[in-house]
Amino acid sequence: MTLWNFAWPFSSSVPGGRVAESPAPEVTQRRQDQASRWFLYSSVFWLVIPGLAGLFMAFFLFFPVVSDHIPMALRPYLQFGRLRPMHVNLALFGWLSMVYAGSMLFIVPRLTRTTLFSEKLAWANLGLWNATIIGALVTLLMGLNQGREYAEMVWGLDLMMLGCFGMLAVNVWGTVLRRQERRLYVSVWNFMAATVIIMLVYGIGNVVWDTSGALYGMNDAILNYFYVHNLFNVWFTTGFLGMTLYLLPRLSGNPIWSYRLAVWGFLSVWTGQHHLLYGPGPEWLELLSVSFSIIAALPNIAFTYNFYKTMQGAWAKVKEDVPLRFLATGCVFYIFTCFQGVAQSFRNFNAQVHFTNWVIGHSHLAFVAAFSFMTFAAIYHILPRILGRDPFQRRMMEWHYWLVLVGLSVFMMTLWTAGLIQGQNWLSGGIPFIKTVEAMKPYMFLRLAGGLGVAVGVAFFAYAVLKTMRRSESASSVAERSQG
Amino acid sequence: MRQPTIAYLIIGSLLVLAAGLVVTVGIPAIQATEPSENAVRYNEVQQRGRDIYIQEGCWYCHTQQVRSVEADFGMVYNPRDIGPESVPGDYVYQKPVLWGTNRQGPDLSFVSRRPHANATWHLVHLKDPRSVVKGSLMPSYAYLSDEELNALVEYLLTLQ
Repeated sequence: MTLWNFAWPFSSSVPGGRVAESPAPEVTQRRQDQASRWFLYSSVFWLVIPGLAGLFMAFFLFFPVVSDHIPMALRPYLQFGRLRPMHVNLALFGWLSMVYAGSMLFIVPRLTRTTLFSEKLAWANLGLWNATIIGALVTLLMGLNQGREYAEMVWGLDLMMLGCFGMLAVNVWGTVLRRQERRLYVSVWNFMAATVIIMLVYGIGNVVWDTSGALYGMNDAILNYFYVHNLFNVWFTTGFLGMTLYLLPRLSGNPIWSYRLAVWGFLSVWTGQHHLLYGPGPEWLELLSVSFSIIAALPNIAFTYNFYKTMQGAWAKVKEDVPLRFLATGCVFYIFTCFQGVAQSFRNFNAQVHFTNWVIGHSHLAFVAAFSFMTFAAIYHILPRILGRDPFQRRMMEWHYWLVLVGLSVFMMTLWTAGLIQGQNWLSGGIPFIKTVEAMKPYMFLRLAGGLGVAVGVAFFAYAVLKTMRRSESASSVAERSQG
Repeated sequence: MRQPTIAYLIIGSLLVLAAGLVVTVGIPAIQATEPSENAVRYNEVQQRGRDIYIQEGCWYCHTQQVRSVEADFGMVYNPRDIGPESVPGDYVYQKPVLWGTNRQGPDLSFVSRRPHANATWHLVHLKDPRSVVKGSLMPSYAYLSDEELNALVEYLLTLQ
């Protein structure tokens, strides 16, 4: 979880164990939440684009000859090496981060019983964020790449991204400072910490004081993986926990089982080097990172226990309530992600799976299965509350859920299997590399099939959200007329 | 129980972050690294080739990092031809380093040590990978200009 949890107030629940809910009139809130709403709409767009890129890449890996038949003028922009950073950066900083931002703008005023610090700032934030992601889309396809994982965006875009986080932080903190609710719910702490600390991690990790965005030699790799791990740790995990602790009581109808357990964090800020095991880096640093990775199992166990205790008695609802099912599935996958992460940090296991397709399975487990499932639940929960009615059809949500779940499971399990085989082939010695590539063919087919399932599921989701966008315009004008 | 102030929480968390930075990034950085015999100071053309290597995303599918578990053991074409273990000194002139995290293709730390990998082979391979390596997943880079391809080949020849 997070690094600041050691100093966490254990009594952060409001009296009675219920989460504070804004008593502000719905209409005011609704007018207030428009920036949040458009953050959520934008995020769905930024899910579709990298999703399509992912599909293209899966297709090329199964059927590489196709890339020889693309018109020469298009080839540079549809090439694997340029699609891949676009896929990753847009999915992380466009899709997930914008859902996080939109949800924070919605959740924080409700938990503090006040209105958002500045709706205008939120609109400006939305504009800058979209401009940054459009910039990332264009520059990464043009091949402007800083050559470091998760830090590919060029210097100017790094500064814009910092601006996005900064404006969000001002809004979150500004709202908290004028709160009417004395006690701060655990989610608010998460959001306050995440929005500030991500700026440091992003700024340092991207080496923003140098326009090339990199250091010399081994230090570059060490800093890069410090950043990669803490981007995950400080921003995505902390945001995930904040949103989950807000959504879970609401969707399940049960209060969080234990705030003591909820606030247990791990010192994951020390574990970046476990991405570079057996590499040229210092041995002591590897062992340190492995030790801290193992310690990280403890808060995972705490989260697991807390989740199952909170869900107790609510499992029957999972059958009927698709958003709750998305959230619960996301939590289960999150638990799985953490334990898989610990397993991967063992050096003998890491030796086997590092550099293989396993790694790609793991990253999709974290960012799609865990975080995206939670954000699907967040969008299905928040949008109806902004619109003042529930526009989502159960049937569409069911298709979305099952297609993505089945497709993604096929995709991930295929890649894990493929990774184990690849690793074994490489370490057995005596097998030419190209043979180990050819052995991947059937797995690349299954991966493509799974990816197609995910894509169709996401299409159902995107269509459902698109429909709310159209209808809501007329609905809100009706609401305003009846007011006037 | 009284809640600590926001300032207290934030300062505490920043201290933990700072400690992590100092120990896991700062301390390794103060140890001076001497260049190894494999370290290369790039000339203008080689540096241009390296920039194209980054631009085209070669490093997403090729690592440049031979781990101790596979050094002088792993096989690309012939047994043990993956090369010796990578050491920090190999990278002192590189900014950024291109260690990579995934191998859809083989490690390239010592690609040009392999007997067939001369300038001509690299050029043909970049333009039409499947003509020389059957079953290769690599895209064709025929869309690059001759100048760009030559620079890229010059860079690949430094990897030995």
